[in-house]
Amino acid sequence: MLAKIWAVYQKDLLLELRTKDSINAMLFFGVVVLVIFNFALEPMRDSIHAAVPGVLWVAFAFAGTLGLNRMFATEKENSCLQGLLMLPTDRGILYIGKMLAASTFMLVTEVVIFVLSLVFFNLSVGSEIPWLFLVFLVGTLGFTAVGTLLSAISANTRMREVLLPLILFPVILPILINAVEATGIILNSSDYGALKLPLTIMAVFTIVFGTLAYLFFEYVLEE
Amino acid sequence: MAHRGRSRFDALLGGALLVAMVLALYMALLQAPREATMGDLQRIFYFHVAAAIAGLTAFAVNFLASLLYVVRKERRWDNLAVSSAEIGVVLFTIVLITGPIWAKPVWFVWWTWSPRLTSSLILWMLYVAYLLVRNYVGDADRRAMMSAVFGIVAFVDAPIVWFSIRWWRDLHPGPMLETGGLSPAMRPAFLVCIVAFQLLLVYLIRRRMFLETAREDLEWIERQAELRH
Amino acid sequence: MDTMNYLFAAYTSIWIVLAVYLYSIHAREKKLRAEVGRLKEMLGRK
Repeated sequence: MLAKIWAVYQKDLLLELRTKDSINAMLFFGVVVLVIFNFALEPMRDSIHAAVPGVLWVAFAFAGTLGLNRMFATEKENSCLQGLLMLPTDRGILYIGKMLAASTFMLVTEVVIFVLSLVFFNLSVGSEIPWLFLVFLVGTLGFTAVGTLLSAISANTRMREVLLPLILFPVILPILINAVEATGIILNSSDYGALKLPLTIMAVFTIVFGTLAYLFFEYVLEE
Repeated sequence: MAHRGRSRFDALLGGALLVAMVLALYMALLQAPREATMGDLQRIFYFHVAAAIAGLTAFAVNFLASLLYVVRKERRWDNLAVSSAEIGVVLFTIVLITGPIWAKPVWFVWWTWSPRLTSSLILWMLYVAYLLVRNYVGDADRRAMMSAVFGIVAFVDAPIVWFSIRWWRDLHPGPMLETGGLSPAMRPAFLVCIVAFQLLLVYLIRRRMFLETAREDLEWIERQAELRH
Repeated sequence: MDTMNYLFAAYTSIWIVLAVYLYSIHAREKKLRAEVGRLKEMLGRK
């Protein structure tokens, strides 16, 4: 089972490394969001640090949505999906492989966006980095856990690219709330004990929707 | 054709709904005692909360119908699912309109990001998204399956949204605005309103399902006619 | 008296929303009936 997941994961990663379609778009979009917010938040320049967690996660979420949209678009364009569906394996395997690939792209994007935001917002971090990475990791897994399923659903519709953010953001709200909160705790206070609750909620979200998507993925892939 | 499936049950249901609504209006507006601090404004509460409860019931029905569709793949469960989701959205539209109208004179703001108000808004958005998914899938079987899976996701998401927002609000306390308990003298009016809105829910779902079934029959007939030529 | 206006607005809006929804169901039913009529005519002609 692990070997199969690895195979799907590797396939998506290889495809991306060869074309770099998604990751370039995701990165650039993330940077655009950072710059736009810099202007939008100009009136509160003095307290801008309080807004950084929110800005970061908006950038992550937008970039992530872009990546999720591409994930099934490429499969559909070249009718690769049919080929994948002919594989004699559980569709859930396909889900896990794709979800992990999407998470990888998103995490790479997040790291770059975060480093840029350090420059743009004049932040400096040191010992906070492992904690931040933990929050990014759990938040991203939660995002893609449900995002991969909804991306497959929206791939079945007309207007796929437009529809995905509309159906994804209301569902993903708990992840955004808690990820922003947790990032804020790390950046603006040092009370790491307070991280337990948001991390727990995000982990529960990830496990619940990961299981749900694993079970229902085959139904949204039919045909 | 318009009268197929409209049985004595529907006539009875319509009658009961009418009586219950008139009674609910009377009790909410006249019979229930005047609340001490908010005065007559508190009378919005009865229909506002009854609509919210009926809306939640509608979403629960959507969840069950979606699960049944995924398991059984029978079209009637999809019909029930779309009907209940649409009516849930209508009921929550009522909740979201009456909420600010109530909030403005009492709290002097139209909107507060309180847990209940915020969760209601997100819930409304989740099921508008559900209807959007339906809107953009052409093939009927595929539409039913996609929306069923999304319906399950939406309903599972709802409690997590509620706890996240609640906890987030605890951290950033705004004015504590949620109403507390209900005095015993107000309970009969409240109960009648709840019953009236549940009847309204059943009535609307039946009416909407009837429409959906007729639409589907017609689609089938047209497909058959096309195949024959 | 201002209070009464808000109360009135709230209850009116409830009935407006319900009326709009019932009308939308009614309009969709009418469209179906027209479609059935069209089919009937088509079949009758042949």
